[in-house]
Amino acid sequence: MRVGKYLGALVGAAAAVALIGAPHLAHADAMADAEALIKAHQVPPDYKDPGPAFDAKACMKDKKMLTIPLTMANPFNAEIAKAMQAAAAEVGFELKVWENQLKIDQWVQGMAAAEAGGYSLIDLQGGIPPAALGPQIDQARAKGIKVTTTHLYDVTQELPTNLDGSARMNYTMAGKLMASWAFTRTGGKPNVVIIGSDEIVPTAPFVKSIQDTLKSYCPDCKQQYFNVPVTEWATKIQPSVQSALVADPSINFILPIYDSMSQFIVPALRITNRLGDVKIASYNGTPFVLDMVRNGEVDMDVGESLGWIGYAGIDVNMRILCGVTPPVMDLNTPLYIFDASNIKSAGEPANFHSGYGDKHLAGFRKLWGLEK
Amino acid sequence: MNQIEEKTADPFEARLSAIERRLIAIEAERTGVRPVRSQRSTSAQIERFGLVGAWIVVVIIFGAVVPESFLSWLNFSTIFSSQAVLVVLTLGLLIPLTAGDFDLSVASTLTLSSMSLTVLNAQHGWGIIPSVAVALGCGVLIGFINGAIVLYFRIHSLIVTLGVGTFINGIILWISDSQTIAGVSFDLVNWVIVTRLFGISLTFYYALFLCLVIWYCFEYTTIGRRLLFVGRGREVARLSGIRVDRVRLGSFVVGSTIAAGAGVLYAGMTGSADPTSGLSLLLPAFAAAFLGATSIVPGRFNPWGSFLGVYFLVTGITGLTMLGVDTLVQNLFYGGGLVIAVALSQLVRRRQPQNFS
Repeated sequence: MRVGKYLGALVGAAAAVALIGAPHLAHADAMADAEALIKAHQVPPDYKDPGPAFDAKACMKDKKMLTIPLTMANPFNAEIAKAMQAAAAEVGFELKVWENQLKIDQWVQGMAAAEAGGYSLIDLQGGIPPAALGPQIDQARAKGIKVTTTHLYDVTQELPTNLDGSARMNYTMAGKLMASWAFTRTGGKPNVVIIGSDEIVPTAPFVKSIQDTLKSYCPDCKQQYFNVPVTEWATKIQPSVQSALVADPSINFILPIYDSMSQFIVPALRITNRLGDVKIASYNGTPFVLDMVRNGEVDMDVGESLGWIGYAGIDVNMRILCGVTPPVMDLNTPLYIFDASNIKSAGEPANFHSGYGDKHLAGFRKLWGLEK
Repeated sequence: MNQIEEKTADPFEARLSAIERRLIAIEAERTGVRPVRSQRSTSAQIERFGLVGAWIVVVIIFGAVVPESFLSWLNFSTIFSSQAVLVVLTLGLLIPLTAGDFDLSVASTLTLSSMSLTVLNAQHGWGIIPSVAVALGCGVLIGFINGAIVLYFRIHSLIVTLGVGTFINGIILWISDSQTIAGVSFDLVNWVIVTRLFGISLTFYYALFLCLVIWYCFEYTTIGRRLLFVGRGREVARLSGIRVDRVRLGSFVVGSTIAAGAGVLYAGMTGSADPTSGLSLLLPAFAAAFLGATSIVPGRFNPWGSFLGVYFLVTGITGLTMLGVDTLVQNLFYGGGLVIAVALSQLVRRRQPQNFS
């Protein structure tokens, strides 16, 4: 009886230890998984068909598109627009880029111009929230014009009902890569500050992906999140990071979800004497941040080919206009990790296109029936 | 006034003192408010040093809540090092404000300065000294253009500097190709942020030195006092023999050049330049200037007041960040702090109207 009692207590204690330890075992081989994920995104991007092939030239001969970039003052949007124009020229249809400088009245004018000009599809490219143009979208759709977005939503986000389609981006994967990078580079002991801008549509799933990935790798690891609106990056990011580093000297990684934030983080690291000791990993592949990777100020940047995005966005839009089924909802643009080992391939100074290769060109041409 | 008379023995200085007396009398007649109060009165002292007191209170509160991190020297050295750009920009703004003119183009001047420096240094391989010289030259040129248009066409400075600022923003996008450019010489980064004295980056001491120079000019030099008189009453100053237009033109040029200097520090701070982020410093600079005008020399834009204003606000924001509050609370503190400080100052002054010049 006594033996049984002790045995019972022992089993109970073992069960309790197992339960307490359970979260640590939730992701048994976290390091191997994180390393495998990173490795898969360190090889030059390969092209995969986003959907079935179709005869784009024949289908698009009597159609034309108008794309409204978030702002042409942002090279990110301008480069995607250029690539879209190149793709449209290859297929042989008209694509008008509506020049604007991040003003809602200019976007409204673009919508009106599309209606007046007999365009078949309006594409809101690279950040315009459809909610800002609700009445105009309804009016355009009532006249039979399709309305889509390119590179706005995350692959996990549902589309609003007033859109005909969307070329969504895999921000969730970018978040996993950033979290995995911080995890492996700190030997499994990351203490991170995540910085985002909640007003940007994909921020929520992007941040959640980083947070969830870190939690699955190491539930006890510390993480904190700062929301800094875009208009306040210059005045808020640096003091926020400085204060966080002073308050918690064990922070070892800063994860700004948009890489242009890095220029305000580096001064914070310098002022607190933590540059090199605290590392930065981010997403976007913006050229000046790739230059910072080369200089050692930023540890890693997840990039994506803007030329590829342009072609993939046109592919999604053409499928909608041509009624190709099943519809493609997501960009097939791969994410590619830049770090000290491959930063030379990004060019010097870095640019938006180098390093990714151009396999997408041949791939899309074949897919659209332009080449055999 | 007696202090001024004691300081000034030469006839021109005496005449300036007489002008100031006349201006104060005219102001009193216009507003119906008793103009001169003893600087030794308790309320005057409270008003002068209220912001210092508020700063100390903020330090005590956060020091009590998060003593280990907030009261560390690292924290204070970080606070001092990181806000020097804003202090210098505010000082640049202060000069035309003192002369009674607004300059809404200071943040654009800062951004053009940092961008031109970076483009020349990082992209065209110029040395850092000639690049800095061109950046400062941009400030001189912009100040001259602002002043010339305001004075020749007799247009309000608010309109002219708004237009010129927007024009400059276009030039910045043009020369940068709308891109952020990294790769500023490490020599500049070194001289701005990396090299330290007592743990504080050199950039803080540049701002401190500039404060000292402007304070000395305002208090002890003829040109500084002319600037004050022009700001308080242009017509009286003109009738008293001060070349008002020349003083105003000078204030635009000096203010813009200082703003360009802030741009040089900004490039040294970030090691890069981007076409838009510097523009967001405009409203914080105005906030610091107006907050500063409630202390040290109440009712007048003054460098030490602005210096205090910047560091009071950032100390509060740092404490809030350490407590882990949402960044939106920073806006509440920033905006609320400004309005409450100015309102309290008015209560101490028994709600006398202020013209801040």
